[in-house]
Amino acid sequence: MMEPTVFFFLFLALCFLGVILSLLLPERLNPLVLAGVASLAAVSILLASGMILLMGGPFRVELWRPLPEWGMMVLAMDRLSALFVFVTGLVLLPVSIFSAGYMPKYLGRYNLKTFGAFYHVLFAATVLVLVSGDIFSFLLAWECASIFCYLLINFEHDREDTTRAGFLMLAMSEAGTLAAAVGLLLLVGASGALELRALRAGPAEMSQTLRWSVFLLSFFGFGVKAGLVPVNSWLPRAHPAAPGNVSAVLSGVIVNLGIYGIMRVNVDLLPMTSAGPGLVVLLVGALSALIGVLYANVEHNLKTMLAHHTVEQMGIVTIGLGAGLVFVATGHPVIATMAFIAAVYHMTNHSLYKALLFVSAASVDTTVGVRDIDRLGGLIKRMPWTAFFFLIGAISLVALPPFNGFVSEWLTFQVLLRSAELSSTGTKIVFALCGAGLALTAALAVTCFVKAFAMSFLGAGRSSEVAQAREAPRSMVAPMAVLAALCLLLGVLPTYVIPVLDEVVTPLTGTKAVDALVPPFFATSPQHQKLSPGFAAEFRDLGAQTGQGILPGRGLVILHRGSEKNPVVFAMSTSYSLVMLVLLLGGSYLCVHALTRARRVVRKPAWDGGVRRLLPEMTYTATGFSNPVRVVFNAIFRPSTVEDTKETVAEHFRTAIKNGRKEEHIVDRSVFRPVIKMVESAARLFGQMHSGSVNAYAAYILMCLICLLVIQLLL
Amino acid sequence: MTKWVLKGLQTGIKTTAYPDNVEPAAGVSPGRPRWASIFGGSAEEVVRRCPTGALSHTGQRISVDYRRCVHCFRCLRGLKIPLFWEPGYEWAASVSTEDSADRRIGKAFSHSLHIRFVDGGACGACLSEIEQINKPYYNIHRLGFFVTPTPREADIMLVAGPVTDHLRLPVRKAYEAMPRPKRVIAVGACALSGGVFGPSFASGAGIAEFIPVDIGVPGCPPPPLAIVHGLLLAVSRKPSASLLFRESTAERKT
Amino acid sequence: MMDKPLAHLGGLRNLLEEVARQWPEKIRVTPFLEKSLCQIECPASELVTVCSWLFAERGYSFAGLEVEDRISEWNLRYLFYGDLGDGQVHLLQRISKTEPSLPSISHRIHAADWHEREVEDLFGLAFEGHPRLGDFVLHEEWPEGVNPMRADFDARKPYPHREVDPEWRPLRVVQAPGAFMMPIGPVYSDFAESAHFLLETVGEDVIRTIPRFFYKYRGVEKIAEGRAVNQVLLLAERFSGSSAFAHSLAFCQAVEEISGLEVPERGKNLRLFLAELERLRHHVSAIAGICGSTALAVATSQASILEEELLRLSCALTGHRYLFGLNTPGGLAVDFSNEALQGLAATVQSLWEKLDELKEMLRFSSSFLDRLEEVGIVSQEQAVAYGLVGPVARASGIARDLRKALPYCSYEKVEMNVPCEIEGDGYARLRVLFSEAEESANLIRQVASSIPSGPVLSPAFPVPSGEALGWAEAPRGATFHWVRTEEDGRVARYRLITPSFTNWHGFHLAAEDFAFQDFPIIMATFGLSNAEADR
Repeated sequence: MMEPTVFFFLFLALCFLGVILSLLLPERLNPLVLAGVASLAAVSILLASGMILLMGGPFRVELWRPLPEWGMMVLAMDRLSALFVFVTGLVLLPVSIFSAGYMPKYLGRYNLKTFGAFYHVLFAATVLVLVSGDIFSFLLAWECASIFCYLLINFEHDREDTTRAGFLMLAMSEAGTLAAAVGLLLLVGASGALELRALRAGPAEMSQTLRWSVFLLSFFGFGVKAGLVPVNSWLPRAHPAAPGNVSAVLSGVIVNLGIYGIMRVNVDLLPMTSAGPGLVVLLVGALSALIGVLYANVEHNLKTMLAHHTVEQMGIVTIGLGAGLVFVATGHPVIATMAFIAAVYHMTNHSLYKALLFVSAASVDTTVGVRDIDRLGGLIKRMPWTAFFFLIGAISLVALPPFNGFVSEWLTFQVLLRSAELSSTGTKIVFALCGAGLALTAALAVTCFVKAFAMSFLGAGRSSEVAQAREAPRSMVAPMAVLAALCLLLGVLPTYVIPVLDEVVTPLTGTKAVDALVPPFFATSPQHQKLSPGFAAEFRDLGAQTGQGILPGRGLVILHRGSEKNPVVFAMSTSYSLVMLVLLLGGSYLCVHALTRARRVVRKPAWDGGVRRLLPEMTYTATGFSNPVRVVFNAIFRPSTVEDTKETVAEHFRTAIKNGRKEEHIVDRSVFRPVIKMVESAARLFGQMHSGSVNAYAAYILMCLICLLVIQLLL
Repeated sequence: MTKWVLKGLQTGIKTTAYPDNVEPAAGVSPGRPRWASIFGGSAEEVVRRCPTGALSHTGQRISVDYRRCVHCFRCLRGLKIPLFWEPGYEWAASVSTEDSADRRIGKAFSHSLHIRFVDGGACGACLSEIEQINKPYYNIHRLGFFVTPTPREADIMLVAGPVTDHLRLPVRKAYEAMPRPKRVIAVGACALSGGVFGPSFASGAGIAEFIPVDIGVPGCPPPPLAIVHGLLLAVSRKPSASLLFRESTAERKT
Repeated sequence: MMDKPLAHLGGLRNLLEEVARQWPEKIRVTPFLEKSLCQIECPASELVTVCSWLFAERGYSFAGLEVEDRISEWNLRYLFYGDLGDGQVHLLQRISKTEPSLPSISHRIHAADWHEREVEDLFGLAFEGHPRLGDFVLHEEWPEGVNPMRADFDARKPYPHREVDPEWRPLRVVQAPGAFMMPIGPVYSDFAESAHFLLETVGEDVIRTIPRFFYKYRGVEKIAEGRAVNQVLLLAERFSGSSAFAHSLAFCQAVEEISGLEVPERGKNLRLFLAELERLRHHVSAIAGICGSTALAVATSQASILEEELLRLSCALTGHRYLFGLNTPGGLAVDFSNEALQGLAATVQSLWEKLDELKEMLRFSSSFLDRLEEVGIVSQEQAVAYGLVGPVARASGIARDLRKALPYCSYEKVEMNVPCEIEGDGYARLRVLFSEAEESANLIRQVASSIPSGPVLSPAFPVPSGEALGWAEAPRGATFHWVRTEEDGRVARYRLITPSFTNWHGFHLAAEDFAFQDFPIIMATFGLSNAEADR
């Protein structure tokens, strides 16, 4: 009874039920359907994937053989799929509950019934992509997910920028799907089977060119979904255009589909023999991270900024993947496994905190109705819980301990530093550059979130709409709390997460890395005997075995052992950090409290130089705060001046100095404009064929027939 | 870079020895009229010469209200029998209406004091004299006194100027922004009595109308040493002078 | 040193002929050639034309605007002055109160901008065509329609306030996405005078400075009305104590002209001596301020030492560190022995030598010069348009100095140069300060060695009724005091036109498109006083 397949089919049934109920029930009940049915569906899929994640039981459902020659359509969930499905469920559960409070704002303006239907279909399609066992069902589910994604993005179809964003997303998504499909079909051609697990046999005989083609097509094809540079133009436009809860789903779940595709093809199916593809992945990842965070810094629309951060975070995941691929190719399987663990850990973390941030932003959007940071301010007084959870999400994203972002980004850094073990200097240089890029990204991310949090929530309100802000209802705050708690949990207990992730990644590389990452210091751990006693003794003195009698698992310290001369390569424990933080902060608070109990606390307004009233226009704006970044990285932004006029009245009375600037995204500038120009000129070239003369067209048909006959003769 | 260091060393120490010793140099203070009895002249004529009403007399005994003296020298010049003039610079006096010693800042601040200067409409001479206290000749750093640009960290507020109409709010806000304990030193005749500008539509009759004043340093402008004396008085390192009327009879008693 | 040819076409006589030729009937001219003064009355319709002609064609500088409330009408006097030989031109206007409006001349002579705004705020007399009247002297809490300088306003009582309009916003010039204003003041910095600045920026450079002054407005012009002359003398000395002698000198000269007095030669020379002593001390203080703003501590200390020594010298000689109580109508209230004067001159010489050393050391400090060069530039055209005066103007190429243009005391008998620079940046202003300090030291030496003997005072009281303009080149620039007295020797109208008022008007020209950290440096190189400007 408690088999994963049962819960899986329950999930599918609940999605179906959700579609029916959404369409049948009156509109005002729709949010409740979402909250109720979708969340139940999420629970069941969590159970299904959770079981497989922890116990690895077989999950294989044969569906249907559409044509005798084609093979069976199969659903199979191995641990990799299970992880992605689990993350999907983790995100969709709170987001669905959040929708109950969020969707009513669209009542009357847009059709909530179709929204509910699309939502459930998207949920099902996403999971089906992840559990597809063969190419056909994979592509089918993938297309389905893309289309319903588009439909949900286009929900506010009255707005022009929404429709344009949706259209761009659809166009690029189709192009990506096409590329990925060609790549997959090349693999099919090499192996002759349709089932994914059977494709592993193929690549052994593939030539270098074919391998590279498959790699490039699948990487950039799936990269569209994942939002990697240079194919990410749709992401910063589409994610903010969607309603708040859909943005959370897009950034938390749909981008993972891209990563899943990349991992499935390049890590699982296609063995790496050279470091080349890995380096490409690494460089693309670093570029995405840097460009994403730079544009996030100068963006002052809250949701667009978060979308740019999605690009950045996916870049970091890709850096992990790239490093792993290089290590696989150069024969360091343990480090490769560590790299992949870092990558999927970061993917998980990102889904959680990005969903949290988007959900908080949506909460702000609901009451204030303004997304421009330059017009927000002072919201912490009116929406303290939203502010608090936004802060937690922000701290997680900028990788500050003891939250989850820190663990995965730190692991990614450490993996990059392991390039010391590589032999090729060129590769090492690339690793060093990417490491430096990642460091710069991390710093810029902090800048960006200081700006975002401070300008939105602290200080004084900058527009009249801020006065309308109210704290969100409990149905909207509770999901934020859950996500925030998960962020903390995954940050404080990495030593329990890593063994699970290790089980996910081991089948892909063939080596276990958990011992290399989480030494079993706890004597109660069954692997404890594998630890050399001297080593264990040294670390007992440092407290690595604290809690061994009480806590399960291997230990609380992440530690990578090296050689004799260098016994510890890196070590970290967020669990201990949390304890120390609590002790220190709590202790300081208690000390101060005790010392100042006798003193009076007087609250006075901020010292403003004695002006009559400090006006909101006398406070820093987000644009002002981020201007130094814009100036330093001017070469990337290349703003063009739209307006630079000085208006005077009667020669000396300056009445206005108008400055305006326009910036085009670097990817649009350097990739799309040339591509579009090429396509247009090619089209113009072909357009010359359309002379309008019937005789010419007749001649074309004749020539075509002759060519076909010739080809038939030759073959 | 070294040339500046050498130049500084070459210049030597210029700082006054006050408060440990009397400052002997000429020109450190304009001096001020001394309450006295006039012999062989008309006290009324002397009193009439004063344009701000700082002088008053009973019979031949002339008393001086130092809060109003603006150093116009008309009681000294152009008279056959002028008023006595006393040199010196220790002019600061405690003026708070509460007569307890509690209005002085405690021992903890006596060698570590932060000062915020607030301009309440001063003419520029008081500001210039106040600026001198941070310069080599007077150098209050050696006394442990520091100037801070924010009232949040200040213990003492130095105010000069008859608070003008537009500055009432900023002065009041600066005072309220200071944490306790805080004391106010009114510097100059304008701050103590409105000076020559007096109460009018645009300025007040001294800052005591707006914020509680603890110490007054009279003069127009008070020399830097008088201001230093005021600061030392604030931390009880020096005794107070008297600002008010000095009746000759009162002087005879002591 | 102006590129534009100054019309020295025979000075005032030629002016009279030109005026008669261009506006034969409409303008009435009354010459006072012995006073180098020409009074013009013209109808309001010709006001702009005549003023522009005087300014643009004839090269006169606009000194200021004096307005008096004469119960049934307004009397206005536009004051112009030129170089030696051109004298002064006063343009009179009488506007009846039933039609209280005049055309604005600010778009032609921008120096009149603040004068017109002040008149509108304090008198309620509007100038047509001026785009920015209101919220100038009286801040937003003063009710509309209350004008303190009107005859019927009682100056003795404080005026109750009204509630500020919550929608009130300061004027903004920069329109750019994300633009905001950084507020400075009115209470700021260690020892700054109270003034408010709004620096408009989009996050990097400050694009525009919007100052708000008159926090220190004490209504000196109003409270002087009805006071005796020797009471108003106290006001003249003490409204800007850092240049007390120059202001009291201008006031006394106005009263002396009303009384028809001639100050004795020794008095005039001593006045020159003391005025230059004050100028020297002020310039040393300004130099100390500039070094302090760039945080060059040793240079600041060196200049401060010299400043204190000059203050002590002043006090040892005259009894007061800031030279209060010396000037009186008719001369000086005290005399000093020649030995004392020569002693002081010798000490000044040795102080000058130390100042010269400091100048040389600063000249070779590249980190110091870096912060001053090309910072806060005011071009010559801008300086001419805004009518800047004093060392600030002389650093931008305008070589006009009242000591040479309208000589007073005995300046026509001494040898002096007017130093002038053309770059108009902070370093040029510093160089002008050093050069003028050198000139002052020279003048002190000249006077001390050749001062005639005799009395220093021609008694001036009682003062008859009359009106006159007195002027002096104060350390910060040209100052004009217009005094009108009544029969009983009381002052009926006292108009103060101060160099800081004129120059603060042009401050925003220097404070445009600069890095925020240069703001205190630009302020220090201007060396202006809010007390002097706000009165």
